[in-house]
Amino acid sequence: MKTIDLSRRGFLKVGAATTAAAAAAPTVLEAMEVEVGGKDFGPVTKAERKAIPITCHVCNIQDGALAFVENGRVVKLEGNPEHVSTRGRLCAKGNAGMWYSYDPDRILYPLKRAGKRGEGKWKRITWDEALAEIAKKLDAALQEDPNSIMLKYGRNRSGGAIDRFMQTLGSATVVNHTSVCESSKKVGMEPTWGPDIETPDFANTKYILNFGSNIMEAAYFHNPYSQRLTEGMADNKAKLVTFDVRLSNTAGRSDEWIPVFPGTDGAVALAIGHVILREDLQDSDFIETWTNVTVAELKNHYKQYTPEWASKLSGVPVATIERIAREFAQTKPATTYTYRGPAKHLYGSYNEKACMMLPIMTGNIEVRGGYCLPRGMSWPQPQPAPPKPAKPSYLAHPDEYPLAAHKVSHLVPFWIAEGKQKINVYFTYQDNPVYTNPGSDAVWGKLFRDEKLIPFLVSMSPFMGEETALADIILPDCPYLERWEPESMPNSLWPWLGIRQPVIKPLGESRENRIILRDIIHALDKDGSRGMKKYWEFKDGEEYMRHHFDNVPGLKEAGGLEFLKKHGVYPIYGKLDPKSGQVVDKTGRPIQPEFGLHKKQLSSEDMTGAAVDAKGIITKNGKAIGVQRNGKNYVGFPTGNRLVNVRVDEWADFGFNPMPTFKQIPWHKEMKDDELILTTYKINVHKQSRTAAVKWLAEIMHSNPVWINSATGRKLGVKTGDLVRVESKVGYLVTKAYVFEGIHPRVVAIPTAFGHWAYGRLASGARAKLRSEKAGSWGANDDPDLKNVWWDDKGVHPNNIIPVVADPIGGSQGWYDTVVQVKKAGPSDKYGDSVGYWDKHVDAFKETMRYAYTGDKHREMHPEMSSWKGPGSVKKKEGGH
Amino acid sequence: MTEKLTSSSETRGVQGKKRYAMVIDLRRCIGCDACMVACKAEFDVPVGVFRTWVPYRVTGTYPNVKKHFLPRLCNHCDDPPCVRACPVGATYKEEDGGFVLQRYERCIGCKACMASCPYNARFMLPDNRTYTEVTNVVDKCTFCYHRVTEGLAPACVQTCIGRARIFGDLNDPNSEVAQLVATQPVQVLRPEEGTKPNVFYIGADRNLTEHGRAVYDTPEVLEEDRKNFTDAG
Repeated sequence: MKTIDLSRRGFLKVGAATTAAAAAAPTVLEAMEVEVGGKDFGPVTKAERKAIPITCHVCNIQDGALAFVENGRVVKLEGNPEHVSTRGRLCAKGNAGMWYSYDPDRILYPLKRAGKRGEGKWKRITWDEALAEIAKKLDAALQEDPNSIMLKYGRNRSGGAIDRFMQTLGSATVVNHTSVCESSKKVGMEPTWGPDIETPDFANTKYILNFGSNIMEAAYFHNPYSQRLTEGMADNKAKLVTFDVRLSNTAGRSDEWIPVFPGTDGAVALAIGHVILREDLQDSDFIETWTNVTVAELKNHYKQYTPEWASKLSGVPVATIERIAREFAQTKPATTYTYRGPAKHLYGSYNEKACMMLPIMTGNIEVRGGYCLPRGMSWPQPQPAPPKPAKPSYLAHPDEYPLAAHKVSHLVPFWIAEGKQKINVYFTYQDNPVYTNPGSDAVWGKLFRDEKLIPFLVSMSPFMGEETALADIILPDCPYLERWEPESMPNSLWPWLGIRQPVIKPLGESRENRIILRDIIHALDKDGSRGMKKYWEFKDGEEYMRHHFDNVPGLKEAGGLEFLKKHGVYPIYGKLDPKSGQVVDKTGRPIQPEFGLHKKQLSSEDMTGAAVDAKGIITKNGKAIGVQRNGKNYVGFPTGNRLVNVRVDEWADFGFNPMPTFKQIPWHKEMKDDELILTTYKINVHKQSRTAAVKWLAEIMHSNPVWINSATGRKLGVKTGDLVRVESKVGYLVTKAYVFEGIHPRVVAIPTAFGHWAYGRLASGARAKLRSEKAGSWGANDDPDLKNVWWDDKGVHPNNIIPVVADPIGGSQGWYDTVVQVKKAGPSDKYGDSVGYWDKHVDAFKETMRYAYTGDKHREMHPEMSSWKGPGSVKKKEGGH
Repeated sequence: MTEKLTSSSETRGVQGKKRYAMVIDLRRCIGCDACMVACKAEFDVPVGVFRTWVPYRVTGTYPNVKKHFLPRLCNHCDDPPCVRACPVGATYKEEDGGFVLQRYERCIGCKACMASCPYNARFMLPDNRTYTEVTNVVDKCTFCYHRVTEGLAPACVQTCIGRARIFGDLNDPNSEVAQLVATQPVQVLRPEEGTKPNVFYIGADRNLTEHGRAVYDTPEVLEEDRKNFTDAG
């Protein structure tokens, strides 16, 4: 028998059953290639681990996963081999997800604040006590104004439950986190072609222009896209060119890394477009057929964007711009990809639009290897559903940002402080703006500590994060391995529906979020007389899922919820081939996605009663349903006129340039020689704020020295390891320097995910805190392995010193616009200092509002829109946007 | 107790025997570290030690800079010095498959194997682990023996996002690893040690992987990177 002998008494406790399993292991290995997954065995026990399909939710890529359970414990996570996007693989973060459940500092019962806000004193209370107190506060708030009940979420994957809760209460004050994420990317794209994101066919492309996306480490959709990207690069010999201010793993693995001055990607993209049009390399047929401009109009418009102009702004040599333009236009198929790089600036929406123009003008839209529309699936909501709230909420839809369809959440604290809207009850769910937002503790911490502005703060959270630490009541929510949720994400070219289901029962007294919401409503409307309870009549999360999944066409016939419980995802497109890592059909050939969605033809039934105008737009019942071209009736793109809108007329209504354009950030123009730009970023093994307490990820990276270019370091007299002081107009921090060649000389970079001052002992104090404070303060079991933690550094948080900037179009935070000075630390500077000043943050808020369409800087920034009649000319819309 | 045969004889090309090997295609490695974490979970590997790890280096001068990753693990040598060094026969080579394994119950913790390994692939388990009771003995990568014997790829291979890690039987000419080793220029680490490693790299740069070459860089630049890359490689 050739197995590791495990029999030494007292060394290992191995039962009879596991010995038998070990004996059953084959002595001669089978003559076959190994399978890539779907099963797992205990290395010591040899027992097969039970597999339960789920959807990963460490970050928001939504990979299909399998959770393996041994002795009632989730011990391993891997990709679901039946999932068309994930194909059996998970990233580092996904592989570590069980530590959300087993975090020794997790909160496992309801808590009530005992001391002052944020003092860290808590009293354990029962669920009934917690719910009764919340119901009492909600009752009072409802009598005053339903909109005084606010809920702000960060990562909401409830599939509709959160909105249902707020609609049940009649409040429109629902605020998300999208403006600190990618909202200007979305707003740059939506009016142009409909959806908020593209799906590049990386596997089949030949050329990729990547503007500021770190797809190999983070971004939408890290794992599935990186799989296709490596396939494209290694197997299909695609060329990857990355524009970025720093050497991310993506930039470092690209065929070419082209550093750009922050915020100038848009100018480079426009100049690339200029060369393409100047040299007549565009796809005229696509432009004339599918967009709302002509080739002549486009050529004329792009004349102004010369490579010389862009080179001066971006630092990218003219010859490089010209070469890349020719390569991009003459290599077919080709695609661009963008993420936060271009979008997270004052005029991020313009930048995104400029980048998006490249696949449009070269006709790479919806073709194999090109830039495709996202594919998704949806599910119905339980009935009856509550009505929409009666009154709009300013905080949810501020008047000054009418085009910001994904809200402007990072300005909310200033608006609350200004008294724009009164808040009585504030719910927070998977958000933690005290850590994640610009100004972090200096802004959101100040807001939450102010009991006049936020009289009652309820956190639904499994962890004592920075914002939860400031709550009045904490309701212990469940991490993702303990809850039910519907999922779909356009993370490959194949649409799918997925499910999250509990792998283990909720630990302690924790309850999953939709149950918490139900229980709050039931506590508020005990006898149903308020008319709220009827929207929340379900006994558990599983029953809620039945409403979503038992009536989806196709899935219903396959078994509805039962199918998803068994497979985790629908549909299953084929089998994962261990030899290629691809999904293959019955004949063994890789499955092929569908392309040309806009070229689907309308049926004669669709056309009955439809009218076609001079431009070929097909309308029916007052709505454009397609485009007539060459005698054929196509569905076109999911926009108001079914075309790709190169010219976005709605933008012009508010005095913005409707055509592709670029605006240099005014304060970047005035930078002094000793000033640098601070940029932040995500890394491969962490997400923004929720992984610092995950030991396997923290072990790989737990500190975040500021990246400084070697030449800049020499100028400053700073070398790797030196303490430096980084100062902006709103604060300063003290951290260590990492001086090397992989960053633009005018940029310094600090990743987020580090420098927590709450979120449990590991995140906020590393080894020292693990030793000085006990595990299980709130009911969780200890992890003896944490005794092995060997690091003392927890990093430094950058957000206190980053002022708010809001894109006047997309509403996005300008994360990468901060001007700083970097100096060697002084005698009073201490490693870890991170200080922001509320008053200075308020000044920054006032300054950025001047760029809104109602502000005085707006016109100054748009001399080309001199015929615009001003904010008074815009008709106010009713009920938000 | 079942006695094992320790073999220092080669298994490569031996008929009727398997010779498992890993090919790591560095053109496909994106440095995501998924392998490191998957391995931690698979074996309940304690904090402070790794069975597999992914050092990196940054080369070049701004703006012509490149990042290189070099996933590392036990090489499951055909002539493993650790087996020769072990005074108690705790370390042995599995003849069918060529896995270099550890009998925990025999290990006396003398660390001779650790000292003899030119790849720093072995480590001492600490006192505390989350749920596994094997402690205070030397441990190492097993090539996921317990999975491979069940027909499954090692955990690091299974989760590899870029499909940079390929695993299979080098003695089977139809296997992907045999085909890659046959058709691609491959490198092994420290071939001069005569260990006959069974982890093959496609696209590894000798200037980066071997001792002595890093002297061309200025010492203060990327000290950490160089340390990672050269000490272990």
